[in-house]
Amino acid sequence: MTTLPTPAAAPASSGGPIALAGRFGDIVLGLLRRREVQLIVAILGLFAICSALHPQFGVPSNIAFILADSVTIMLVSVGQTIVVLGRGIDLSVSPILGIAAVSIGFPATASHLNIWLALLIALVIGVGLGIGNGVLVSVIGIPPIIATLATLTIYGGVQFIICGGYSVINVPAVYTNFGIATLLPGIPWLIVIGIGIVVLAYLFLTRTVTGRSVYAVGNNAEAAFRAGIPVRRILFTTYVICGLLAGLAGFIYLCQIGSATSTSGSDGNTNLYSIAAALIGGTTLIGGRGGPIGSALGAVFLSEALQAMISFRVNELWDPAGVGVLILIAVVADRQGSPVRHVLRRPFRQPAEVAK
Amino acid sequence: MPLLLVRNKGLRSQGPAATRGHPDRASGGDVDRRPRVGTPRVGTRYEGRSLTKSFDGATVLSQVDITFAPGEVHSVVGENGAGKSTLLKIMAGIYQPDSGQLVLGEERVGGLSPRSAQQLGVYLVPQEPALMQSLSVTENLFVGILRRGRLHFNVDWRSMKQEASAYLDRVGLDVDPEVRAEELSIAQQQLVECARALVHRCTVIYFDEPTSPLTAKEAGTLFEVMKNLRADGYTLGFISHRLDEVLAISDRVTVLRDGKRVSTALRSEVEGPSLVKAMVGRELTGRERVRPPFDATGRKEMLAVEDLTSEPSFAGVSFSVREGEVLGLAGLVGSGRTEIAETIFGLRPSDRGTVRLEGRRLEHRSPRACIDAGLVYLPEDRARHGIFADVEVERNVTAGVIPHLARYGPLVKPVAERDLAKQATDRTGVRMASLDTLIKALSGGNQQRAMLSRWLLAAPKVAIFDEPTRGVDVGAKDDIYHLVAQLAEGGLACVFISSELSELAITCDRVIAMYEGHVVGELSGAEVTDANLGSLIVGAHTI
Repeated sequence: MTTLPTPAAAPASSGGPIALAGRFGDIVLGLLRRREVQLIVAILGLFAICSALHPQFGVPSNIAFILADSVTIMLVSVGQTIVVLGRGIDLSVSPILGIAAVSIGFPATASHLNIWLALLIALVIGVGLGIGNGVLVSVIGIPPIIATLATLTIYGGVQFIICGGYSVINVPAVYTNFGIATLLPGIPWLIVIGIGIVVLAYLFLTRTVTGRSVYAVGNNAEAAFRAGIPVRRILFTTYVICGLLAGLAGFIYLCQIGSATSTSGSDGNTNLYSIAAALIGGTTLIGGRGGPIGSALGAVFLSEALQAMISFRVNELWDPAGVGVLILIAVVADRQGSPVRHVLRRPFRQPAEVAK
Repeated sequence: MPLLLVRNKGLRSQGPAATRGHPDRASGGDVDRRPRVGTPRVGTRYEGRSLTKSFDGATVLSQVDITFAPGEVHSVVGENGAGKSTLLKIMAGIYQPDSGQLVLGEERVGGLSPRSAQQLGVYLVPQEPALMQSLSVTENLFVGILRRGRLHFNVDWRSMKQEASAYLDRVGLDVDPEVRAEELSIAQQQLVECARALVHRCTVIYFDEPTSPLTAKEAGTLFEVMKNLRADGYTLGFISHRLDEVLAISDRVTVLRDGKRVSTALRSEVEGPSLVKAMVGRELTGRERVRPPFDATGRKEMLAVEDLTSEPSFAGVSFSVREGEVLGLAGLVGSGRTEIAETIFGLRPSDRGTVRLEGRRLEHRSPRACIDAGLVYLPEDRARHGIFADVEVERNVTAGVIPHLARYGPLVKPVAERDLAKQATDRTGVRMASLDTLIKALSGGNQQRAMLSRWLLAAPKVAIFDEPTRGVDVGAKDDIYHLVAQLAEGGLACVFISSELSELAITCDRVIAMYEGHVVGELSGAEVTDANLGSLIVGAHTI
């Protein structure tokens, strides 16, 4: 009896002229229109299907794995979301993650660097590299996609230089224990951190002066400037926060994997997955719409879907292709931002305008 | 495709010279309503019969009859919103009329698109040249009818370039046909548009306010080209807000008012003053001023602008506004009104001049500095410069004052913000489902009310309203007038920019009129009438 509740299915069923009795129906329909609710339904639905088909999918350790696995992408994706809300994009998150991981990984293995100091260093590195992006985009005024494409390769090169041909292996147990510690069976500590960051990001974006201005700038930078919002400063801040979260993700990556190489971050498709999670979570690349909760759920959904592919023995070479399909489904399902609908509805003639 | 080829071959053999004095081949007796390819000819009469058009229920054009005859420049004049542009766009196939007929020569043509109109020989030169900036002049001229070479799939650049030069000569444009369009000035691009009409063998050519982006000298060049075309028997239509131009170039003048044709007369039968009267002299609508006469005694001077200059938009502009006064800024599009407001608000640099707010000089102006000093600016282009379309009404309203919202530590208090937004939207009467509605779902009038709410929250002392009633329905317009009056009553010094003379007449205590970047007159009290303003803003003093 279970149907697959993909994000695509929910708006379609809520859009039609279904007569549902009373206010309750309205509330349910209203909720179903929210991308976050659709994603929770999709996550639970996929979980139900996979558990029914595979005996080992629903065990607590697998749940813990899925959640913990989603945290790195979740953090990077939340940072990416903040940048994208300001109508930017950060393609350099993967090497920022990588640089943070190897920079603390080498001293950690060689001289047992204190874990809290390591965390601090990772954050500082993230902020520093984020400042680099922020300067290029908001001070010099280079289009974000070009600026961060350049820093993607620059930072990637720096990561290679730091490694100098070596890899970080045998990270001390104090790090790796942190990576696998659970609060309750099935609830890893990492996901608690992830949720904490998402809540902070949510409060930042909805309740602080700077965060609120991000939406305005992303939606209409010219109007924001005319409303007295310091547009450049806001944009700069978004890249710094994105760098900070990528740095934090680098720390968590090291704890989880227990090793790091000159291609950490890049080889795990961090860039693609962070953008994918944001898109699946309902953030649009044209800025001003979406939020961190959707992106976090998007990251969990991605992690779950990838784990499902592993459980059903789909070769992992198919992972990026699978993610690509999910992106397409998510974007087409987005009723307001759907490029497909836009093209279909675009009138052949110039739209009627009020005559001058 | 075969048709296109045949047409191109014909064009190649004839060349530009052949378009002169092309013999008028009488059309056959049967009426073919399909647009046909390759039949334009010089000397065609083009007629619109009882054309009617409405947008979103508002009638823009009503039962208009007009005939464009060969060898004539026929001008269409009228106030903003009179329907001039709509009329020409219908003639050129850009809009479809709701009812009425188009007759080209002896044939009825219907269901036109810009492309089929061009194939029939009708071309509209737009106000702003719409060339493809990164393509060469040649490609721009031949776009859509690129000539094929001997191999059939290649492009015959050589013959096109030769022909392009010939056409460019014909419009008096001395540029290399290989340069990219972006390297040309606006005036040159305008002439390329003309040449494009000729390349496409169009013989009925419309000009929609072609001179508004041009200087007087550049406009002179364009008029020479138009005169030459007229001498060759082309059928020309022209729109301009500048009456001196209209009187200089036209053979026939049609006046539109509120979408209706008021009169059509030969140039020799009309004079400047009578045209102005026909244009703006609508029946008195019985509208009263929305506020009592203003008494300046004891009122403090709030905004003083002195010798403000930002070349080339405007120069030497001085005015002042007192507490509780509404000063109108009248002028045509391009007269420098919006540029003045943007310069005051720090959106564009000034060459010289000062802006004082309550006697204190505002230097290093920026929107933030102006807002904090008590000066706000409601922009003309609401969609591009005002609203955040995908954001809730509440946050649109509070956007100008986010840094001043009540907070717990770094976090804005949501309840306080909502109260503030609610008060402000109640005051301007925004009608919406809730404050959480996305602002793009609101009507134009309600969006504008929300924008007014935003600026009320900033507690301004001086407000500049730029076309506050643009794109809003009639009811909302009235509300906006009363709101402005009420704000002025409360002591706000207002600057009211508008193209609609009647609204200036009912809201403003004093109006200064702009023409081509200069203040050309000031009216106050009972002198502020449609007619007085009308003759000032069309530059009647220059006639």
